[in-house]
Amino acid sequence: MLLDVRDLRVEFRTRDGVAYAVNGVSYGVDAGETLAVLGESGSGKSVTAQAVMGILDTPPGRITGGRILFRGRDLLTLKEEERRRIRGAGMAMIFQDALSALNPVMTVGDQLGEMFVVHRGMSRKDARARAVELMDRVRIPAAAQRVRDYPHQFSGGMRQRIMIAMALALEPALIIADEPTTALDVTVQAQVMDLLAELQREYRMALILITHDLGVVADVADRIAVMYAGRIVESAPVHDIYRAPAHPYTRGLLDSVPRLDQKGRQLYAISGLPPNLTRIPPGCSFHPRCPLARDVCRTDDPPLYGVDDGRSSACHFWRECLHDRDH
Amino acid sequence: MTATTEPILEVSGLVKHYPLTRGVLFKRQVGAVRAVDGVDFTLGTGETLGIVGESGCGKSTVAKLLCNLERPTAGSIRFKGEDITRLSGRALKAVRRNIQMVFQDPYTSLNPRMTVGDIVGEPYDIHPEAAPKGDRRRRVRELLDVVGLDPDYVNRYPHQFSGGQRQRIGIARGLALRPEIIVADEPVSALDVSVQAQVINLLARLQSEFGLSYVFIAHDLSIVRHISDRVAVMYLGRIVETGRDTEIYDHPTHPYTQALLSAVPVPDPAAREHRERIILTGDVPSPTDIPSGCRFRTRCWKAQERCAREVPALAVPAAFHDTSGPAAHASACHFAEERQVVPPEEPQLHGNGPG
Repeated sequence: MLLDVRDLRVEFRTRDGVAYAVNGVSYGVDAGETLAVLGESGSGKSVTAQAVMGILDTPPGRITGGRILFRGRDLLTLKEEERRRIRGAGMAMIFQDALSALNPVMTVGDQLGEMFVVHRGMSRKDARARAVELMDRVRIPAAAQRVRDYPHQFSGGMRQRIMIAMALALEPALIIADEPTTALDVTVQAQVMDLLAELQREYRMALILITHDLGVVADVADRIAVMYAGRIVESAPVHDIYRAPAHPYTRGLLDSVPRLDQKGRQLYAISGLPPNLTRIPPGCSFHPRCPLARDVCRTDDPPLYGVDDGRSSACHFWRECLHDRDH
Repeated sequence: MTATTEPILEVSGLVKHYPLTRGVLFKRQVGAVRAVDGVDFTLGTGETLGIVGESGCGKSTVAKLLCNLERPTAGSIRFKGEDITRLSGRALKAVRRNIQMVFQDPYTSLNPRMTVGDIVGEPYDIHPEAAPKGDRRRRVRELLDVVGLDPDYVNRYPHQFSGGQRQRIGIARGLALRPEIIVADEPVSALDVSVQAQVINLLARLQSEFGLSYVFIAHDLSIVRHISDRVAVMYLGRIVETGRDTEIYDHPTHPYTQALLSAVPVPDPAAREHRERIILTGDVPSPTDIPSGCRFRTRCWKAQERCAREVPALAVPAAFHDTSGPAAHASACHFAEERQVVPPEEPQLHGNGPG
């Protein structure tokens, strides 16, 4: 396993008390594999990724437990200096909003080149040449001229390509993409996802794709981890989860999206709201919104039950959920 | 949601250009952003028209024009036969009561220093004839109840609500004056998936309860299909294809619509093997410098010399004149042909994509 996150816990100190953002998350990803982490806002999907990358804001954030094994080494025990070497060369991140992730007063060429100057000790001239190569690689037209442009001179889709180029620069083994296409138009989104998938195949990278979009997940992922209130509630190969979800939250999500190929009358809506992370309900955190909830759900926190080969669900009644697809 | 034949809104030749000027003292116009560049459509009573398009296609400008928040450069908007673009004063105010807007961002469209009661009741300050003073509090509580909020929340402030609840407040405000038309500009795109469904269902329920007509503007094609009776696809300030929802989604004839539909991810991993993807090259041209002829030709794989010369009209293409099938709907393309891009129930094999 290239990356193996075990029982990770993260808290934030806020004015309203301690927010339990990540409550025992475990997932892993292998070389060449795509893991989609699916969840709504506040589910802890981005915070987990930030902890893995080592870019969590501390304070207010704090890792209170767990291990993050990357190539067998626990990143949480490393010095900041060592982690910095791993960031960029070992793992890299692509953010949702390229405009705020890129430096507005540096040319894109200088930003791309900086990676080679800092990590590889290249001369500015060589670094510039590598920057042009990279921009070509992510199919930015007229790369040799545009290398001198500033981020604001590019369109949204092109900026996202520059972000991808930056993440690829040092050929990391793992890329974490946090909502990489959410800010883009649908035709541009297709271009960018295509590019990302192609580059991943070529470099045999592991990809963790963080998203709320069930459609994007179905298009590219090998496996899915569904997060709710800081926990993984279901984890499965992509085909299984869409065919027969084993957790009522996953089922609710699937039933609540309108589909391009279907015109339904009434959408299924999950009642209520995601919990406040400072006051996560006892027992199963989904029980106040769950159609299957019973007494045991209000008191006993469900473990991740093994459902099948490579599948697990944190629901006491996963069997019922699995066989109750037509409601 | 069955539409009658009587149109409540008729839009024709709608144009909105924003001038680009240079110079401080002696301003001169050096060009124009052609945000909306000749749009025609009708909206039937009780009907939902979905307008889809990518950013910059002019769909939000259309929304502003419909609500009289902007004056068009040319063209007319007829509400029950009366052109509302030339109105002013009292007549304008009366029309505005009947066409209300719901905005995209529930975080910035509600004044953080006003209570929910004041926000929802504010339309009554502007249109006092809509509700007598003593009756307003009751009306506001009723509206909150209608949109599924606890009426006891009237004295709370927007920050005490979640995104979905705030959008409900925005909808309650839109309903306050009992309008006949609601123009909703991306009303659910800022919301989480599970909350999106709640708001969409609410909008559908309110429509049948109050007999509302909707213009529903969004970039999400799946949501638009779900809620709309008819759909108009916009590109660079113009409608390129329009028809009933099955005509557009199952039988698109305009290449842009086909590309747009093929790019939408479908939440079904089984579809990815037999799905055809049309990946467009390049970006949308700037609305200050619109290509001659067909404005989509710079990204179109079918473009020929004729496309640069002649602007294609939005009409039923000649090829479909003799048929009455679902492919015979208005499409602004010289080379319109039917192509199924949304996977049907049974997987079918298609020809090669354009690359």
